Amino acid sequence: MPTSSIRQRLIFTMVLTQALLAAGLVFTGVYYTHRRLQASLDANLHARAIAVGALVRYPEQPHQPFIFETGLVPARDLATGDMFEITAPGIGAVARSPRWSDDLDLRGNGKAYRKIKLAGIPYRVLRLENVPVLDREEEPSNLPSTLTVIYATPELEIQRQVWRAGFYIAFASLVLLAVTVVLALWGIRRGLSPLQDMAVEASHISAQHWDFTPPHEAELVAELRPLAEAMETMLQRLQQSFEQQRQFLGNAAHELKTPVAILKSTVQSLLQKPRTSPEYQAGLAQSLEDIERLENLLQGMLRLARAEQWAYGTLKRNLESVDLASTCEDAIEGLRGLASAHHADIKLDAEDGIICRADPEDLQLVWINLLENAVRYSPEGTTVRVNVGRSDHKARVVVEDQGPGIPAEELPLIFERFHRGEASRSRETGGFGLGLAIAKALIEAYGGSITPESAVGRGTRMIVHLPLNLN
Amino acid sequence: MRILVVEDEARLAANIARSLRESAGYAVDIATDGEDGLFMAESNPYDAILLDLMLPRIDGQELLKKLRGAKQHTPVMVVTARDEKESVIALLNAGADDYLTKPFDLGELLARVKALIRRGKGQASPVLAVGDLEINTVDRTVRRNQRAIVLTAMEYRVLEYMAHRPRALVSKTELLEHLYDYNWEKFSNVIEVYISGLRRKLNKGSAAPLIHTYRGQGYVLRP
Repeated sequence: MPTSSIRQRLIFTMVLTQALLAAGLVFTGVYYTHRRLQASLDANLHARAIAVGALVRYPEQPHQPFIFETGLVPARDLATGDMFEITAPGIGAVARSPRWSDDLDLRGNGKAYRKIKLAGIPYRVLRLENVPVLDREEEPSNLPSTLTVIYATPELEIQRQVWRAGFYIAFASLVLLAVTVVLALWGIRRGLSPLQDMAVEASHISAQHWDFTPPHEAELVAELRPLAEAMETMLQRLQQSFEQQRQFLGNAAHELKTPVAILKSTVQSLLQKPRTSPEYQAGLAQSLEDIERLENLLQGMLRLARAEQWAYGTLKRNLESVDLASTCEDAIEGLRGLASAHHADIKLDAEDGIICRADPEDLQLVWINLLENAVRYSPEGTTVRVNVGRSDHKARVVVEDQGPGIPAEELPLIFERFHRGEASRSRETGGFGLGLAIAKALIEAYGGSITPESAVGRGTRMIVHLPLNLN
Repeated sequence: MRILVVEDEARLAANIARSLRESAGYAVDIATDGEDGLFMAESNPYDAILLDLMLPRIDGQELLKKLRGAKQHTPVMVVTARDEKESVIALLNAGADDYLTKPFDLGELLARVKALIRRGKGQASPVLAVGDLEINTVDRTVRRNQRAIVLTAMEYRVLEYMAHRPRALVSKTELLEHLYDYNWEKFSNVIEVYISGLRRKLNKGSAAPLIHTYRGQGYVLRP
């Protein structure tokens, strides 16, 4: 997979913007310099045109042509390549510079600047009409009072200056660009170092080592703080669920080992010496029982895993509208045998028409698990009561027994997987401590809650709330 | 030898007991919870105790600490489903002599228990020797001067017990306590029957007597 580097991207973006900036600067600089130089050249051109125009005098005698004071034309201007022509309306050319090209004889009216290229050299040309003849002492009637001056000067100097200005600006920009890149490289490296520190810190995290303290610098960086905090909370949650899983796995392994140990010892002791056929039979029957027990344990663990998987949204299921009372009835029917073995009774008091969206088998399993506990702990001759009703816009199912009750300190533990009450452990109830965990996982998967209430010597109430299906 | 098995899984306890009785000829008592286990361990002289950890009423580790706190030196083998290093270390440090994780092999359990008993009585070799008498505790055979001696199960158990502590005075009561489990009626005169049977078989071929009687006190096995 191609990797991209933040540093490279930042540098690239910076160089690009700087280069664009430099280009813009060069362009504006060149444009502005050109404009300014041209404006000043134009003013100059105008002044020179007026100046040469002023060198035209009326003749001393009438009917003589204009007099042009050639000697007064600034030699320096002519040396740089200036050219001019003065014409008078109706008369034609009055005066011309030593060098002249007819290409410069521009037609037009009023004042006009043009650009012309002559033999590869660019010229700026001004055509100025109606330049008054300054000599006003005596105006001969046969000569016009205004002149037209065409003045051209080479533009080479301007171009050179414009180029030079462009070069200087570009050079300065490049130097600046280089300096900025170096500075930016250093700055970015420094700026990103907390990120690197954090990566180093994060790389120490493992299943054995969950401590993550973001480096102090990272906490001072506004952009990194949310990341550091998010990592901290994420790790805490991960550690919690990891520990939970590890504990579950440890417990599960422990619970699985015992039946396997029994099974193994049964078979091994059968094989220790030749036995009679009834002995083998008894051993096989025992083994079968143990295998069934193992099977039940595995089934319970799978159910729990499935309920949790579903609660975490990784399992899709089709739910139907279920009447709570009927699932309770079915569960009670299934437990009649156990109840009569314990000489206990189960009584159902159900309100009809309480509908939830659920898989009826799930709900039955929940009621069976709750009832099984209740019946097993019920003293002879007592009754387990099941009540189905509503409270606070929710469905409510209460399973109540008259058993020994659960001590307050044990109450928070009863939903833990593989938790078995002291009474259960010594009374050989045959459970694995998964029933209540499964019930809770299922109820919570349906968005409900389960709350135990118990008093030692008086009995236990399990109160289940489930969201109602109002459609 | 008499062993106490403290294990809440009744079937596992029964299987262990059967194996110990059949394959090693040990007397075995079973306790299914910690409280019973502690009571029995304190009131009977066991040669080894097999202890499960997850026990109702009194936890296995707690029981172990109480036993060791009461200066009980009986070798204890812990049978546990937990095999994390820390819990093994904690167990051995609490006074356990050995441990085995579930599910285990009955053969291994047996061998370890034999080794524990041997060590507990100051013996290293599984073949016990008293003069020219050799008792192989692995296959439970007895030889004297290379000659195989066939013993009844009870005679072997008496001899094995005494051979673990040669030259020590062993009373009839002690023998009764170590050879029978809880459920047996104990009659001291049966011991005399076994001893006389043993004497007869061991001394066959005019060898020097090995079992000496101290009237009113007990017996000593010595060359």
